[in-house]
Amino acid sequence: MTMLQSLKNAVRQRSIHVCYVDTGSCNGCDIEVLACLSPRYDLEQYGIYVHNNPREADVLLIIGGVTPQWEDKLRMVWDKIPEPKVAVSIGNCPISGCVFSRPQTLTRAPAKSYIPIAAEVPGCPPRPTEIIQAILSVAPLIFKDWELRR
Amino acid sequence: MARPEWVKTFFLAKTAPLTTPPHFREFPHLTGKECTHCFQCMMICPAPGAIEVIRTDKPGEWKPVIHLGHCIRCGLCVEICPELVLDAGRVHTKNAQDGTYMQFQFHITVNPVTCMGCGSCTVACPVNKEIDPQLAAKGTSTSDEVIMRVYKGINTVFHEDKCTGCKTCEEQCPTRSILVARVLEPLQISEET
Amino acid sequence: MKKTVDVSIPLGPVHPIFKEPCRIKCETFGEQVLAAEVELGYMKKGIERIMVGRPWQEVMFLAERVCGICSVIHNFVFIETMEKISGVTVPDRAAYLRVLANELDRMQSHLIANFSYCYTIEHETIGMYLLNIRETVMDMLEYLTGARVTCAYIVPGGVRFDPDNEDLTRIMTAMDDVERETRRYMSMFESGPLIGLRSKGIGVMTREQAELIHAVGPTARACGITTDCRSDHPTYQRLNFSPLVRTEGDNYARVMLRFQEILQSVDLIRTIIRTLPEGKIRGGGTIGRGETTHKGEAPRGELTYRIKSDTHGRVQEISIQTPSIMNIEACARYMIPGVTSVADVTAAYISSDPCVACTER
Repeated sequence: MTMLQSLKNAVRQRSIHVCYVDTGSCNGCDIEVLACLSPRYDLEQYGIYVHNNPREADVLLIIGGVTPQWEDKLRMVWDKIPEPKVAVSIGNCPISGCVFSRPQTLTRAPAKSYIPIAAEVPGCPPRPTEIIQAILSVAPLIFKDWELRR
Repeated sequence: MARPEWVKTFFLAKTAPLTTPPHFREFPHLTGKECTHCFQCMMICPAPGAIEVIRTDKPGEWKPVIHLGHCIRCGLCVEICPELVLDAGRVHTKNAQDGTYMQFQFHITVNPVTCMGCGSCTVACPVNKEIDPQLAAKGTSTSDEVIMRVYKGINTVFHEDKCTGCKTCEEQCPTRSILVARVLEPLQISEET
Repeated sequence: MKKTVDVSIPLGPVHPIFKEPCRIKCETFGEQVLAAEVELGYMKKGIERIMVGRPWQEVMFLAERVCGICSVIHNFVFIETMEKISGVTVPDRAAYLRVLANELDRMQSHLIANFSYCYTIEHETIGMYLLNIRETVMDMLEYLTGARVTCAYIVPGGVRFDPDNEDLTRIMTAMDDVERETRRYMSMFESGPLIGLRSKGIGVMTREQAELIHAVGPTARACGITTDCRSDHPTYQRLNFSPLVRTEGDNYARVMLRFQEILQSVDLIRTIIRTLPEGKIRGGGTIGRGETTHKGEAPRGELTYRIKSDTHGRVQEISIQTPSIMNIEACARYMIPGVTSVADVTAAYISSDPCVACTER
């Protein structure tokens, strides 16, 4: 890897764009992600910028158990994100369906069966401190040796 | 304007550290007390697949295991355990201070119209097996100490108070004629002065 | 033939402003919006179907997770409905503690609604200030109930935990902070000229239109209709509660009404802590058989639960009516048509405080 490539990777690791997709949640995990942006648990101090454009994102946050309408659209949103990319699922709903995984439900968890997921944060909802720890642990892995892996 | 104070805050303020306060109701952890495998924590859990009580490597020892991706951190299993095997946040301190506790009652109802007397529920019941190990197929039994047995063609309940609420009979019934109700009552010890 | 409708603009499910997926299709003539249509259906999970046949200790958690922002009021109204069916009474101390948790939840919901609005009109400074003061309120909820969101604090017969005097003093000091900061942000909001440009006179709904479409909650109270379910609740009547009303009916009125309701909640909490009676916190009681309807006031409007239960308290039929469907209809019918710029569509939509998760459970 040339010095320019390693410089690019080092710079990219410190400035990450996050896009989040709500595939049918109760909004509890949603407001905990918003609480991460508050000055108390400031997420932007680590260089992480939360906006909702899939075309400019590096990390995709998945919230909520997958409802019938989102099965094909989740894959479409994932395909729109340019490489390198990583998906993190927040809360219990994308892992197992939380309390909704009963016989008569309409959700089809887990989200792992639709797109590849790198990290999962359990909890209903997880605390902002737990979300930030998960994103920070996954962030260095995205750009590490990306030019070699491609 | 308080300019020097603003400048000081601008340069020296730090965001809060990424720690969880102790009074937050975390995933329950084991306290080390002995688990008597009464399964009440499994009966009360509202999230499917969150808690299981299994045997450990040591013979005769049981312990509850919490699956993180399913548990919703409600704290009900912590409150109901009679041996205080699980703990989370300040639940046990508060329960000891206020004298609060929860009580389970199980009721079994059999629909006499749809019950065909096949005896699957009687044979499946684990408490029945403990009381009468020679419980035969088709739900017949010589002892009357069992919870229920097939009597005159219909499954009849004799001792409802021995039921532990596991709902195995409900799952095995082919016509969905037997239903188990888990009735929970939150109570507080009243101080008689 | 010349078409009068220029173009139809969809504001899609994944949008920087929307926290929840919802499609708004606006028909415009140039920049002026003529009509709007809201398409929902991305969040339907079938909660009411899952609840059938389950006892209260499992339905309570499902009811809480209908909407995570207003989770305490769903818990509150569900348990009150079950108590009404079975005739279970609640001790005084527990009734006051329930209202305390409810008002703390209402404050954090209004703060996040106003943050969403300020973020939509690109005024991130006030938005971040509001989120900061919201963290103080969440801390107080954590001290009282043990969890920040989806607290599961209210059970039939009373509440789960009793706060000690330390926690109550902490809440009183935090309320002083919240009131001081909220008054400061209210004055910043009132006097900002750019905020006034984007809020005053935008998304106007008259009182007759609001009555026609049955708007509820702060959306209706900002148009002059005095309707608040808290006036019918016995504990609130003991605290001398009376609803707040404004008359303008535009974005500015709705946001300012939420600020004023935050201050009203601060006063209610102070009265509760000062006059909290001693006694037990759980009265006991099992749920029986019956059928009833019960209403409560969620932060977004009127919430109705209709439950039919069988012999041992299992739910046979349940129907939940949430406030946001009426407000979203009012928004699409009356507030959005007539705005002069597509950029104002999102501002008008967010100012009516939609909660799509409540609308489609």
